[in-house]
Amino acid sequence: MLDSPPPTAVRRRLRQGRDRLATALITAGGIGVIAALLAIGIFLAVEVVPLFWPTGDSSAISPEALWGVGEDAGEAADEAIRHRWAPTASLAPGETPRISLAPLAWGTLEAAAWALAIAVPLALGAAAHSSLFMSRRLRSRLKPTLELMEALPGVVVGFVAGLVLAPWVERHLAEVVACLVLLVPGLLLAGGLRSWLPAPWREALPLGWAGLWLVPWLALVLAASVWLAPWLEAVAFDGDLRRFLELRLGLDIAVRNALIVGAAMGFAVMPSVYALAEDALSGVPASLAEGAQALGATRWQTLWRVVLPAASPGIFSAVMIGAGRAVGETMIVLMASGNAALMTLNPLDGLRSLAATIAIELPEAGPGGMHYQLLLLAALALFVFTFLVNTLAELVRTRLRRRYQRLGGGS
Amino acid sequence: MPVVLSRRLIPWLLLIACGVMMIQAQAQAQIQDRDRAETPVRLGERGQVEEIAGTLGTMGSDTMAGLMLRWGEALARRHPGIRLQLQASGSASAPPALVAGTTRLGPMSRPMSDVEHRAFVARHGYPPRELTVARDALVVVVHRHNPLAGLGRRELDAVFSDTQRCGAPGAIRDWQALGLDWPEGRIRLHGRNAASGTQALFRRVALCDGFFRPAVNEHPGSAAVVAAVAEDPRAIGYAGLNHLTPGVRAMAYRDDDGTLRAPDPEAVRRGDYALSRDLYLYLNLPPGEALPAPERAFIDLVLSPEGQAIVEELGFVALPEAQRRRQRRALALEVGG
Repeated sequence: MLDSPPPTAVRRRLRQGRDRLATALITAGGIGVIAALLAIGIFLAVEVVPLFWPTGDSSAISPEALWGVGEDAGEAADEAIRHRWAPTASLAPGETPRISLAPLAWGTLEAAAWALAIAVPLALGAAAHSSLFMSRRLRSRLKPTLELMEALPGVVVGFVAGLVLAPWVERHLAEVVACLVLLVPGLLLAGGLRSWLPAPWREALPLGWAGLWLVPWLALVLAASVWLAPWLEAVAFDGDLRRFLELRLGLDIAVRNALIVGAAMGFAVMPSVYALAEDALSGVPASLAEGAQALGATRWQTLWRVVLPAASPGIFSAVMIGAGRAVGETMIVLMASGNAALMTLNPLDGLRSLAATIAIELPEAGPGGMHYQLLLLAALALFVFTFLVNTLAELVRTRLRRRYQRLGGGS
Repeated sequence: MPVVLSRRLIPWLLLIACGVMMIQAQAQAQIQDRDRAETPVRLGERGQVEEIAGTLGTMGSDTMAGLMLRWGEALARRHPGIRLQLQASGSASAPPALVAGTTRLGPMSRPMSDVEHRAFVARHGYPPRELTVARDALVVVVHRHNPLAGLGRRELDAVFSDTQRCGAPGAIRDWQALGLDWPEGRIRLHGRNAASGTQALFRRVALCDGFFRPAVNEHPGSAAVVAAVAEDPRAIGYAGLNHLTPGVRAMAYRDDDGTLRAPDPEAVRRGDYALSRDLYLYLNLPPGEALPAPERAFIDLVLSPEGQAIVEELGFVALPEAQRRRQRRALALEVGG
């Protein structure tokens, strides 16, 4: 049974040495990464200390001025100058500095929220469809393509969104609205039509290839919306949609607005959410889904009640990774948002994120000055935020995974 | 699983291959550069003047990056041995580099602040030498079809700020308040980012040091401001004079006494156009010492008619002749040139 001679003592020691070396290297690498992370955090924290405990003649900055949270912060409570970011302005004597990070934090969260609102349903839908329903051949083509999409640099996405997409949407607002209105009914109609088709036709349009035969249908819906847009504008919106929104509804539309940012960043975040969610869904043991279907569950019930809960830890972490990327993303927001430090709920207004502010202003801020320290404080806030999101994601993921482990027989 | 893995690796492998090729191309270009730089210092055409050689490092304004680059090219034509190393990450980067001694030339699009000046004196014991090398102007731009002739300080303040320190009775939010039938609706505001010299100048002159409205779109460059205004009839913005494109129209600036001043080079040079500024070159030059040869050659070029022609070519405004000659005399350069 054992043909090879037993390892000699020398060889064994050599192998042990190699193992020990590898262990040491891996440990050192792990500790190095943690140390680097800690060092970044400590550097940022040390740099912003003088903001709160000044050494020289400058005065300390109150949290009220930074976040605008104080109830009776005196002048800072004044609505006109609360939540303003103008750190480089020279102040008249006795004037409160306008250095609130609140609009920047708001902009970061708003952009991330819109990006996730666009990316998560699409990515999860695509992941569910491709892991459960799609034909194997189509899927093997689709997945690498989507992953290639992830390799697209943020600058390129931001450039296209800010300089091509945003002006185009501005000029063709009615077409975009018509398209959004028609898209969902159009797709539902496609599903309905398919079930009405005679059986041989239905055979020709198998569910596994829906991704392909829906493409011409989508093109048709788009063409219809472009064709219908002028009519829609004339009948429902007095001939000019933008003017209608502005004069009748008082909605001020910025060319570079939160929705454009959300669409561009959603595009950038989608592939990574899709890839992780797809892995999680494909990792659910086939026996579970087969068992459910054997017991009479429909495809939808199987997906909704069995596969999704079993894959939920992975899906959750996919969404969280997407959120982390959306919060930290710089170039897309910088180029597509217009960088107006507004604090509104209106998705048609511009916004400004922490990361974009740091990217624009740090090269021009003199090291050691208050502006510089404020920007590092913004960086620290960003760092702590992403750190918390990732930690939370990991904690929830491990807990969920433990809970659902029993289901899959320990896989 | 191995099949899936390799599929997933393909895009990355392609990307890595692209990266490797780019790095190789860059390394080759660097080697060529070095070869060129290492060609032995030759004697001049007629054999009697020894060539000046060396590397000039500069660090500072990004507004002046194109200007420095073109000056460097012209200098390389005059003296093939000199190479200019240009770093343009913003005016604020010049003083620290001058203080630390990593560069002796600092281009800045604004004068040094008191703090920066003090830091230099504290480190070196003498003040930095300030040279004015060109003039620049800000222009208020609107869409090319916008009929508005010009705006004064009070209107600009009412449009761009929410403090109205220049004495406007109230904020102006739409084009009708400026007396226009078209464009209709709200005014969309565009400008440069905080901490840029451009924004600081506009705030000082047109906003009376007030605060910008938060609704101003802040772009990282003048070219981006101009591009944004060119695509939107209802936009207004301010940008550097040298970034004008056919898509936008530069508006005249109405002085406090009511005269309209168009931003033409003559008005900027005379100082009649209020939104103008000087562009500076700061030198680390101990008093009583002569300039080192490469620096001397560079400044000789900058303050020569050829150097000032480059200024005009790039859309900035050349210095008045008297100022150019005065500065040459102060640095003991031949005044005839």
